[in-house]
Amino acid sequence: MNTILALSQVVIKELYRRKDFYVLFVLTAIITLLMASANLFHDDKIVRYLKEICLLLIWLSGLVIAIGTAARQIPAERENRTIFPLLAKPVSRAQVVVGKFLGCWFACGVALVMFYLFLGLISGSREHEWPVLSYLQALWLQWVFIAVVIALVLLGSVIFAAPSSNGTISFVVVLGIWGLGRYLHQVALQQAEPIRTLLSVIYFLIPHLEWYDVRDLVVHSKGLVPWGYCALASLYGAAYTAFFLVATWLCFRRKALNK
Amino acid sequence: MFPAQGAEQVKKCSPYLGLVFLVTVCFTLATCLQCRPGQWTARAQSDNFLNVLLGDGRRMFANHFFVKADIYFHSGYYPSIFEQAARQSIDTKHMTEEPHDEKDEKEEHEHEQTMNFLGAPKDWIDRFGRHFYPSSHSHLEKPGDAREILPWLRLSADMDPERIETYTVAAFWLRKRLGKVDEAEQFLREGLRANPTSSEILFELGQLYFENRHDPVRARNLWELGLRRWQAQAETSQKPDDGMYLKLIINLAHLEEEQGDLRKTLYYRELEVKVSPQPIAVQKEIDELKQKLATPIVH
Amino acid sequence: MSAILDIKDLCVEYRSGGLGQGTKLAVNKLNLSVHTGEVFGFLGPNGAGKTTTMNVLLGFVNATSGSASLFGVDVREPIARQRIGYLPELTYYYKFLTAEELLRFYAKVFGIPRLEASKRIDQLLKLVELESVRKRPIKSYSKGMQQRVGLAQALINNPDLLILDEPTSGLDPIGRMKVREIIQRLKNEGKTVFFSSHELGEVETVCDRVAILHQGQLKVEGRVNELMQQYQSNLEQIFLKIIGYQPAPQP
Ligand SMILES: Nc1ncnc2c1ncn2[C@@H]1O[C@H](COP(=O)(O)OP(=O)(O)O)[C@@H](O)[C@H]1O
Ligand SMILES: [Mg+2]
Repeated sequence: MNTILALSQVVIKELYRRKDFYVLFVLTAIITLLMASANLFHDDKIVRYLKEICLLLIWLSGLVIAIGTAARQIPAERENRTIFPLLAKPVSRAQVVVGKFLGCWFACGVALVMFYLFLGLISGSREHEWPVLSYLQALWLQWVFIAVVIALVLLGSVIFAAPSSNGTISFVVVLGIWGLGRYLHQVALQQAEPIRTLLSVIYFLIPHLEWYDVRDLVVHSKGLVPWGYCALASLYGAAYTAFFLVATWLCFRRKALNK
Repeated sequence: MFPAQGAEQVKKCSPYLGLVFLVTVCFTLATCLQCRPGQWTARAQSDNFLNVLLGDGRRMFANHFFVKADIYFHSGYYPSIFEQAARQSIDTKHMTEEPHDEKDEKEEHEHEQTMNFLGAPKDWIDRFGRHFYPSSHSHLEKPGDAREILPWLRLSADMDPERIETYTVAAFWLRKRLGKVDEAEQFLREGLRANPTSSEILFELGQLYFENRHDPVRARNLWELGLRRWQAQAETSQKPDDGMYLKLIINLAHLEEEQGDLRKTLYYRELEVKVSPQPIAVQKEIDELKQKLATPIVH
Repeated sequence: MSAILDIKDLCVEYRSGGLGQGTKLAVNKLNLSVHTGEVFGFLGPNGAGKTTTMNVLLGFVNATSGSASLFGVDVREPIARQRIGYLPELTYYYKFLTAEELLRFYAKVFGIPRLEASKRIDQLLKLVELESVRKRPIKSYSKGMQQRVGLAQALINNPDLLILDEPTSGLDPIGRMKVREIIQRLKNEGKTVFFSSHELGEVETVCDRVAILHQGQLKVEGRVNELMQQYQSNLEQIFLKIIGYQPAPQP
C-alpha cells in the first residue's frame, strides 16, 4: 500500500509541475467570466446559462486532463525507461498499475474540486443560493466517471503502442459512450437483425457513463439524485474500473519491457 | 573606440530592432487594410459574400440556440435527436403561450403527447438512468425563472438576425414575465432593423404599446403598418402566414372597438370573417355591430 | 559460500522485428552463480547478451527457458528484489523530480521509515557529491550527475547485492575512478557486486571473479588471478583471444 501511495504521489507531482492543468483552468475561468460579463437585457440574475457553459467546460477539461495524464503514464515510463529502476525495486506490476490509477484519479479529483469551487463562486455570486449538496453530488459523480475513464485509458495504454493514438481512441470511445450510450438500445430496435443484436449487446456491455453526467439537474436546479441511486451508480462505476484495471494488469503482467 | 562600442551595441540590439521593425510592418499593414473591409462588406451585400461564407453555419447555430431556449423552458427535459427521429418534431410555438390563458385544450394535450417522448423504460439501464437527468415534463414555474431562457435567444439573434421568432419570443418573455418593457422594445426594434418588412415584429411591437404602454395610437400605427407589410408580402410570396393576418386584424378590430370607432371595427370584422376558422361567431358580431351602427346614438 | 545469484540453463530468445525472420538467441544456456561478498565482472563485447541477462534477473524480460534466482527466490517474485540495488545502463529517472524527491520516492517503495530515509538520503547525496544540487530537478543535471543519481538510488536500500550495468560507460576518468572507489568500498563492507563492463583494465583491479560472454554463450569463468596464470597473459589478451579477434596483419 505504501508503494502504491508513493507511486501515486509521483503522478500527482508530475501533473502539478506540468502546465496543462493551469492552462485549462484559466481558460475555463476566462471563458466563463467573459460570458458572465455580457450584458443581457440589464438582468444580472441570469445564471443558468453560465452554469451550463461552466459545467460543459469543466467536463471537457476534466476529460482532457484525465485522458491526457492517464494515457501518458505507462508509455512514458517505458519510453523514458524510468520503469527499469522502478521495477528493479520490490514493486509488482499490479502495484504499478494501481499506483498510476490512484495518482491520476487523485490528481483529477483535486482539479475537479478547484473547478467546482469556481463554479460555486460564480453561480453563488449571482443567484445568492448555495446548493452545496447538489454540487458535491455532481462532483462525486463526475469523479466516478473519471475513474472509469482513467482505468479504460490505462488499459488502452498497454494495448496500443503510441500514447497519442491511445489518447485519441480513448477520447472518441468515451465521447461516444457518453453521448450515444443512452440511445443505443433505442437505435438498435429500429435496425434490421444482425445490427440489432450487435447494438443491443454493445448497449449492455459498455459502462453507461452518461449516468454520471447530472449537469442538467444542476443547471435547472432539479434537485438531487436520490442518494441510494447515487451509491448504486458509484458501485457500478467501481466494478467497471476494477474490471479495466484487472485487464490492464493482465496485459501488462507478462510484457517484456526492453523495447 | 567609441564607434566600435556603438557597433557592438547595435549588434546586441539588432534582434530587438528586427522585432520592432516587424511590429511596424504588421501595424502598417493593418492600417492599410483597415479601409478594405468596408469595400468587402459592400461587395458582400451585393453578392451575398458573407452569406456564402458563414450563412448556413450561423443559421445552424442560431437554430441550436433557439432550441436551447426551448430546452430551458422545459427545464432540461427535452427529446434528443434520436427520440425526435422516432416521433414528430416539437414546434416551439408553445413557448409564447400563457399558461393560464384560455388555452386550446386540444393543442395543450397534443403538446403533452409529443413531450411524453420517453415512454416506458425499455430495460433496467434505461430505468435506472432516468434518475440522472430531468425526466418529467414541466414548464418554467417560478416567475423569475423565465429570465434563464433569454441568453440563448440573445445568442440566437446574434447568430442569425433574420430569424424573427427569436425577437418575438424574447420580447414576449421580457414584457409579460419580467416586466422589462424597455428592454423588450429595444430588442424588437433591433429585430425590426434587421427585418424591416416583418409583420410579426410589428405586431409584437404594437402589442407592447397597446398592453404595456397603453398607447393605442402608436399601437394602431404599428399594426396598420404590419398589415400593409403583410399584404405586400402576400402579393409577392405564394404562401403568406394567414395566422399573422388574422391576429393583426383581430387586434385592430379590438382596438377600434375600444376606441369607439365602430365603422373601422366593422371594416376589420368583415375582413376577419373571410379567413376566420369560426366565421359564424364573427358573423354574429358583425350583425350586432351593424345593428349598433343603425341605431342612432342617443345622448 | 552460498550462491546469492544463481542462473541455470538460461535461454532468452527475441523475436526479430520482421515477419518470418525467425528468432534471435540473445542468451544461450547460461549457467552462472555469484557468491556472497564477491565482486563479479560480467564481460563481453557489445551485443553479447549482458544486458539481457540482467534484464532477466530484474524481471523485465522473461526467460525462454531455464531459471534464475536471487537470494534463492525466483526472479519473477517482486520480493526477490528487496535486497538488491540496480543501476541501469543509461540514466532514466523522473526528470521533473529533484534528486532528493527521487530518492525519497524510492525509499518509500522499499518501505524505509521516514527518519531513517532522511538520514540515508543525506549520506548518499554526500557520497555521490550531489548535496549542493539536491533541490534542483533532475532534468537540469549533466550526464555525469545523472549517473551519480543512479548510483545513489541503487544504494538507497543498503542492498546486499548490487547489479550494475556498465556503470562506468560514458563517464570521464575522474568519474570512473569514483565508481571504482565506491565498488571497492562496498566490497570492504561485505556487499556483493555483479557488474558488466568491457573496460578490462578496471575489471582487473576490482574483480574477484569474471565471466566472459560471447554471442550469448559463456566462454570462460573463473578467478581473475587464476585465469591470468592459466593463460599467461593479462585479461585483455584473454578476452580478445576468446572472442576470436585477429589483429589486422601489418603491411
Ligand atoms: N528487444 C530486442 N529485440 C530483439 N533483439 C534484441 C532486443 N534487445 C537486445 N537484442 C539483441 O540481443 C543481443 C544481446 O543484447 P544485449 O544484451 O543488449 O547486449 P550487451 O551485452 O551489449 O548488453 C543483441 O544482439 C541484440 O541485438
Ligand atoms: Mg548492454
